[in-house]
Amino acid sequence: MFEKIIFATTGTPTCDHAAHVAFDLKKKYNSELTLFHSMGMPSRGFSPFIKDSRTGENEYMDNDYADWIKEELKTYYAKQLAEAGTVAIETSAGESHREILRAARKYDADLIVMGAHSREEEAGATRYRSVVGSTMQRVAKGAKCPVLIVSRPCTTCLWYFSNIIFGTDFSKASYSAFLFAYQLAKEIGAKLHLFHALDISSIHSGKTISQDEIEAMIAEARQRIEKTYVSQMDDYDNYEVEVWEGVPYVEILKFARERNGDLIVMSHHTREVDPEDAVLGSTVEQVVLRAACPVASVNRPDKVS
Amino acid sequence: MNTVALKRNGTLFCDGKPVADEPLMCLGMQVALEEGVRLRSVFQMIEKYPLLARLNPFLPTYMEQYRKAPAEGCTCDDFDGIVFSKTVEMIGYPGEPRLEIYSSLKGEGHDSPSEIRNYELEHLLDMPLQLGKLRHIVFGDRVEEFAFGTAFNLFEFIDGIVWELSFHGTLRACALRR
Repeated sequence: MFEKIIFATTGTPTCDHAAHVAFDLKKKYNSELTLFHSMGMPSRGFSPFIKDSRTGENEYMDNDYADWIKEELKTYYAKQLAEAGTVAIETSAGESHREILRAARKYDADLIVMGAHSREEEAGATRYRSVVGSTMQRVAKGAKCPVLIVSRPCTTCLWYFSNIIFGTDFSKASYSAFLFAYQLAKEIGAKLHLFHALDISSIHSGKTISQDEIEAMIAEARQRIEKTYVSQMDDYDNYEVEVWEGVPYVEILKFARERNGDLIVMSHHTREVDPEDAVLGSTVEQVVLRAACPVASVNRPDKVS
Repeated sequence: MNTVALKRNGTLFCDGKPVADEPLMCLGMQVALEEGVRLRSVFQMIEKYPLLARLNPFLPTYMEQYRKAPAEGCTCDDFDGIVFSKTVEMIGYPGEPRLEIYSSLKGEGHDSPSEIRNYELEHLLDMPLQLGKLRHIVFGDRVEEFAFGTAFNLFEFIDGIVWELSFHGTLRACALRR
């Protein structure tokens, strides 16, 4: 399922959880794994100096510097590399998200694995900063393949996934996310939870809605899930449809925790926005921030249909 | 004056009198914790003043967990208590200079402060809860760290605790299947 994987890393402890998943996937699917590091931005134009993406220091960029970075990555991931067999290590200079996307295109990657932040954050600090790293947001927005975001330790990961949560807002991009979730669930024999959170606050805009109306909307959403997704699942019967009302990101997190979700799959934009113009939707951002399991952001059908 | 005290049983006291049903007026007041206050006292407070549950979308979920938890003995051995503190970070480089202020809820005891996000609520509810200091960190050529005594208002106290709790996750499930 994942023939070519790119693991975008800063080569620091903030990517350790993502590294665990990336190497795990390679082992399980015998995938071609490329360990990719974006070194930083040229200080100006075609200048040989780059601003290192980790330290912020200016460095003279030549082949020796690139080799030194690769050597550093080899040392940092020595244990995983020793067990993983052949892994390509690539670096390039430029804006991190552009370089990661370029690499994904170049290697025709089926999956990008990355951490959510470039530095370790305290929970309290995250509310005042960009909740999810800007590189991650931009990669998730532009990638044609699924992007697996790993921000918390995951001890089981894809070897033992048994519950995949697919959160939908019924958008076009959500259908791509569904295809990914469904294919993965089928491949590894996991239970697929098709989940929709009815955002009542955005529906009633100040009006009081009765319990009967809420129940009717829930029934309608269930029917929509059956019609749009379940009808595409042939005879696959290891699934569950659930619709809860409330704040979408709170409900998805609650649902994932209650069902012991191993992976949350979502598309990453708001319903009305074209994927080309969308930045990470606030629901996904909040889910990535708090989810104890990895979150896959799928926005386009290219690698999943 | 302008202080609201949280009792062990979750009652708020203002100027020596219990707060009846107007907790919102106390949100801006400096909070003081009476002796014996535990994390459970915070949930008892929200139970007594349900309006406060609307401060954060995660609170109803955590109230449910609190109600299901045993009435006592909800502790863990890895730290002695939980400390609510504040951090002010001055970041001079890289990027635009900026100042960030945030709160933390951490386990404190044996060694350095420890993360509590990997503990279920039922192992934290009866841990003693204290107000800590303000950490002032300056990121420059060197990283300087100072600690000062400070005050917290009731709003930042509730909001900071629930924000931190919203990061609690499901490692239990992962560990079971490992």
